Amino acid sequence: MQEKMMGFMCKKCGKVMYPKHERCLGCKNTEFDEVSLGDECHLITFTKLYALPRGIEMSPLTLGIVEFNNKVRAMGQIMADDPEPGMDLHPVWAKLRTIDEKEVYGFKFDSIV
Amino acid sequence: MMRDVAIIGCGITKFGHLDGKDLMDILVEASLNAIDDAGASEFDFDSVYVGNMLAGELSHQTAIASALVDRINLIPASAERIENGPASGGSAVKNGFFAVASGASDLVLVAGGEKMTGVNTGTISDLMATLNHPTAEYVHGATMPAMAALFTRLYMERYSLTERHLAMVAVKNHANGLKNPCAQLHKLCTVEDALSSAMVSDPLRLYYCCPISDGAAAVVLCPAKKAKEFTPKPVKILGFGHATDTHAFQEREDPIVLKSVKIAAQQAFKMANIKPEDIDVAELHDAFEILEIAESEDIGFFKKGEGQLAVEKGVTAIDGELPINPSGGLKARGHPVGATGVAQIVELVLQLRGEAGERQVRDAQRALACNFGGFGNNTLVHILERGN
Repeated sequence: MQEKMMGFMCKKCGKVMYPKHERCLGCKNTEFDEVSLGDECHLITFTKLYALPRGIEMSPLTLGIVEFNNKVRAMGQIMADDPEPGMDLHPVWAKLRTIDEKEVYGFKFDSIV
Repeated sequence: MMRDVAIIGCGITKFGHLDGKDLMDILVEASLNAIDDAGASEFDFDSVYVGNMLAGELSHQTAIASALVDRINLIPASAERIENGPASGGSAVKNGFFAVASGASDLVLVAGGEKMTGVNTGTISDLMATLNHPTAEYVHGATMPAMAALFTRLYMERYSLTERHLAMVAVKNHANGLKNPCAQLHKLCTVEDALSSAMVSDPLRLYYCCPISDGAAAVVLCPAKKAKEFTPKPVKILGFGHATDTHAFQEREDPIVLKSVKIAAQQAFKMANIKPEDIDVAELHDAFEILEIAESEDIGFFKKGEGQLAVEKGVTAIDGELPINPSGGLKARGHPVGATGVAQIVELVLQLRGEAGERQVRDAQRALACNFGGFGNNTLVHILERGN
């Protein structure tokens, strides 16, 4: 289990990236510090997917893209029942799906109560 | 100094469910059609490029370019398979162009093909989804329709694009496909049919997505100077562009700007030394109808956020000012992924030669093809011109 959703901050130019790149998207530097992306983000777009991929239990599968306060974005499953662009969410560690009978865990996004 | 390159022959199979024909059968058929069309049956070829994405995964066959030169005896021509996701066909054309332009080859066959039917839809959907970022997208359940749906909602939030516009693109492309004997879908659809079709990934319905297809297409290339020895109607490749973007869609500075399309188009226009307004007909990669609109803007045909207005006004219809996807596009012609980039070129060659039958665009001189790989992270643009 991971406590926090992590991004990668370039040691040279300070750009924070998610997912990881071996060379910085801003300056091509190769050294990074792992930094927390934070506990709060907001939804910028979503879809309810009815043609379900294999190994997914949520039907329909709500997928969305969130933006953290530092402007870094991430895609993930949205646990909120009535997603709306702009709504506040927070990352939650949970089971995402099974792939080849193996359970895969990662961060999903749930509403802030 | 690069040589000018001409397309002297083209061939295509029927697209759709080609029962009883395997991947190699359809690649052979399209290739022989193209070689015959070029009048090059008695000539020795120097190189062969085959665009294909999933032969190993779906047909349990690898090294298919070696298999193709054997089946149609192009031995000892150099041969290779080009894999670049849904842009494999466009990449194969680009490689063929380089082979001739560089002086390394005088006669080149470029083919593209995919056999996707007869396999469980879930398997196809999963294999296509593997082109997404493995940890930032795929693992969360992101399929291609889901990616296009996330993209569409961002568009709708920012611009005046509505679901009705997506339906209008589908209606146009179905009408065009009905006039194309090779097209997979031969039926008219109305805006209401599209608006009431099954929801695949909200806000995308079935009619805003391309079908699963078999099909192959091929072209023959040679130096422009030698083209008239083969055909009275050569088509010149004026320019190409090829650019990439971040793997993960959400990481792009503005996710609804298709930067790889923009850069590839700018490169192609610069090389061809023409402007978007000089294009008479275009084939764009409408795996999802939103993409026809977005590409038409990022290529520079229309202002960003205004592509749907052109659809509304009929500008992109066959008899409009800038016909887009007269073939029916990926939506109606079908999308056998490795074939698509080559099939777009075949359609434009027919249009420029004035041989497109009922779907002929009036007096087309210059044409543009956009083949979009990944979810917008690897795009090829080619610009063609009537040779005489």
